[in-house]
Amino acid sequence: MEADDLALVSRAKAGDAQAFRALVVRYQRKVYAVALGIVKDPDLAWDVAQEAFVRVHGHLAEFEAKSSFSTWILRITTHLAIDAIRRERSSRKDDVDDVREADLADGSEGILATSLGNDPRANLLRRELAQKIQAALDTLPEKHRTILVLRELEGLSYEELAERLQIHKGTVMSRLFHARKKMQAALREYAGELARRADAEEDGGGGPSPREAGGSAREERTEGED
Amino acid sequence: MTRTFLAALLAVSLGSAPTVARAEVPVMIRIIKGSRQGPPSVDPRLEDLRRQLSPLAYQRWEQVTDEQRDLSRGKTEFVKIPDGEQIGVTLVERRGDTVTIEVAITSRNTQTRLTVEKGQRIVHQVTGEKAGAAYFLTVRALP
Amino acid sequence: MKDCVRFAPMLEAREGELASEEAAALRAHLDGCARCRAAQADLEATDGLVAEALMARANARDFAPFVDQVMARVGQGEPGRTGLLAWFTLHRRAALAWAVPFVAAAAVLMYVRRDGGPRQIAQLEVNAEGDATMVLETSDGPVVLLDEHS
Repeated sequence: MEADDLALVSRAKAGDAQAFRALVVRYQRKVYAVALGIVKDPDLAWDVAQEAFVRVHGHLAEFEAKSSFSTWILRITTHLAIDAIRRERSSRKDDVDDVREADLADGSEGILATSLGNDPRANLLRRELAQKIQAALDTLPEKHRTILVLRELEGLSYEELAERLQIHKGTVMSRLFHARKKMQAALREYAGELARRADAEEDGGGGPSPREAGGSAREERTEGED
Repeated sequence: MTRTFLAALLAVSLGSAPTVARAEVPVMIRIIKGSRQGPPSVDPRLEDLRRQLSPLAYQRWEQVTDEQRDLSRGKTEFVKIPDGEQIGVTLVERRGDTVTIEVAITSRNTQTRLTVEKGQRIVHQVTGEKAGAAYFLTVRALP
Repeated sequence: MKDCVRFAPMLEAREGELASEEAAALRAHLDGCARCRAAQADLEATDGLVAEALMARANARDFAPFVDQVMARVGQGEPGRTGLLAWFTLHRRAALAWAVPFVAAAAVLMYVRRDGGPRQIAQLEVNAEGDATMVLETSDGPVVLLDEHS
């Protein structure tokens, strides 16, 4: 994959528009997804994603293949996305990064593992779950959202995150901790709902079955976004 | 996504199921050429496509290339076709016996996403018709 | 426990991210701490979901115009397609296998229920973005044709 990318980049540098188009098509959704995770608004994310490719195109001559194309464009995307939201509002005082005793004391550990199961991807309610995740993600402050998105979508290590965001490794770890904790708090409500539905099923009546709920979520998805 | 290795260690020590590696779907990708001219014939290697191709106007079918690739989710594989164009083939999703594959023609505004069962074949035209002939790409997920 | 505060941010570390002494200390702590094991199980259960949720949204969105728009911004765009093709993008149809070739609409989204048996419903889902295409449904799989005027 990387070798392919570099081959396309070389051709694009030489002026081959098709090669550049191929790079765009290959990465467009990933770039958009990272932007979306950070800026939240789909139209703004679309714009940021396009701008990232435009930037890349403008700086092709300087790209020296020291990093992969993927890292390069996602780094640009991160910075453009963060800029885009900072432009829109003045930065707030976000939560402190340190982890404290109070952050741990809630006793609800393990509930998610139990209700979401070992492999949530196999879960029939995946679409619904995806919506809940998105809603939870949207409630996070920008710093926490950004670090979580980069960790998961780009798979960056602690060291890479430290470099990308210009923070210390310790801060990376505690910021991730806070980000995940907030996500999980938001998801626990959903987990509770799943448990209630499961109980209702067992009792042979009550609310919609997981399959039905999964069905309606599927139909929602076919609307897509424009 | 990579599971934390400590969690995997823990899972093993507590006796729960080991985590599953990222899934790959092996596919056969063929580039074939359909022509209006020439004697009606179907390349013997394309016998399995005969029925699927029968509604089309092209009566002569030849196989140009044939390769196996492994698709992993979200990673686009590029397949080169005779006119130099690159066709992007991406595994979007895989659930049990069905797979969702996207075929993208980068020089055009065409991205087609199809969900099929394993064993079914996707046949996708990838060039416009020139001199009575057009190229198609076929994808089949291997069991 | 003070220790939990120290170890909590380490729970999601991947291989190689912790120094070996830290990793050993964490393992030792986890052996004796049910709360942290449970917290780690929660992390495990939710790992990758954010990525999946975002990619699902990216996958659901129509990206057909994206590359042309980028090329236009870069100064290498083609003039936009207007007129007949634009009209067709508003209409979504699927052709049947015996249909006479005609230029179909830009996007087709369709579910087909397969007959037979107590098996799970097999769904054929076709979503074609961008240029006008025609899609033929056959039991062997879909056949996608390009607009004959392109």
